[in-house]
Amino acid sequence: MKALAKTMATAALALSAAAGFAHHSAAPFNFGEPVVIEGIVKEIRVVNPHTFIVLEITDDERGTRDVAYEGMSASIFYRAGYTTDSVAIGDTIQITIAPRFDGEDGGFISSFTTADGQVIGFQGF
Amino acid sequence: MYTRHHSRSITLAVILVAAQPVIMNLAVAQSERPDFSGVWQTYREPGQGRTSGFGAPDSTLPLTEEGARLVGEYQQLVAPFRDNAATYCVPYGMPTMMEMVAGYPLEIIQRPEQITIIFEIEGETRRVYMDDKAYPLNRRFPNRQGYSAGRWDGDTLVVETTSLTDGQDQRNFPHSDQATFVERFSMETRDDGLRLIDYEMTLTDPVYYTEPVSYSARWQPLAEGQILAYNCTEEPWFKLLEMRREQLQAGEPVTATMADVYATRMYEAAAEGEGQ
Repeated sequence: MKALAKTMATAALALSAAAGFAHHSAAPFNFGEPVVIEGIVKEIRVVNPHTFIVLEITDDERGTRDVAYEGMSASIFYRAGYTTDSVAIGDTIQITIAPRFDGEDGGFISSFTTADGQVIGFQGF
Repeated sequence: MYTRHHSRSITLAVILVAAQPVIMNLAVAQSERPDFSGVWQTYREPGQGRTSGFGAPDSTLPLTEEGARLVGEYQQLVAPFRDNAATYCVPYGMPTMMEMVAGYPLEIIQRPEQITIIFEIEGETRRVYMDDKAYPLNRRFPNRQGYSAGRWDGDTLVVETTSLTDGQDQRNFPHSDQATFVERFSMETRDDGLRLIDYEMTLTDPVYYTEPVSYSARWQPLAEGQILAYNCTEEPWFKLLEMRREQLQAGEPVTATMADVYATRMYEAAAEGEGQ
């Protein structure tokens, strides 16, 4: 029973890991080759030190899945014109990211293109 | 003296400075002194890029043998992860915070007896105590921003900073706890009315350098002039509460610690894997 409890606690921790915490180095990201990703917003927190977004994305290779992205700080995005009205859950938006070097889903966001077409942030790094 | 200038407009700066009226070494009335209060960002020539928070000291620095050893050691400690103190929510310290890393602005609040300098990231703060307001040396304890005493040299603000902790991790100008910084702040107003701060910093440190090294930059007002919140450590604390809340709601013992939070760093494994 104790072992089961530990397993469940571990599972809870693993689940919360999906929400992610990180203030981290830039090492995993390819800032030299930004790409644009489109998806449906499932979660968004424009916070310091890193903005956090989960998008539902779809492509032929990997199908439909939720992917977590991080990005520049809240102060950078708000100074660039982001407001609390810019992005809502369920919106289809585009993000410009530095993709991961390892080819896995995810990346570091430098700009949003909101549902109404407003570009906020930087198109490159 | 080794000098590094942030701006590409050194020639322009020389012309502008030369064009200013010469102020003799007379006492300038307090009311005539420049007011540096405001929010400032690095002055950039058109097309000039942003500066990153990552980097390494210039290879031409006049390092002592020990300084070179310490710089080399530090690079070995951080290069595989391409990280720095701020990666762990540690304030940048002197002098990196004054180099306005990654384009974040700096606020100056000027009062006759104290000048306060606030960097947006972490709200990192320096306090410059003017003239007789500064503590005597034996009441100053070492810290990452040092202890700063200020005075006016005509209409130039001169700030001397000592009582620093070890600065091996400083981005462009690593230093020991024996370092002394002397900074000079002066104001110029261009013909179009734009006010610019000319900033000069000189670092003397017998442990790291064979001669003083210096850095200079020009700052311009930030449009709309507001520092925004930047609390790096709030997210991991919230994350810890979230983990414990999930344990609580599952009827499990509340055992999560900050080590568990750090264990979930999304890209930690990737960072280690990249190695470069």
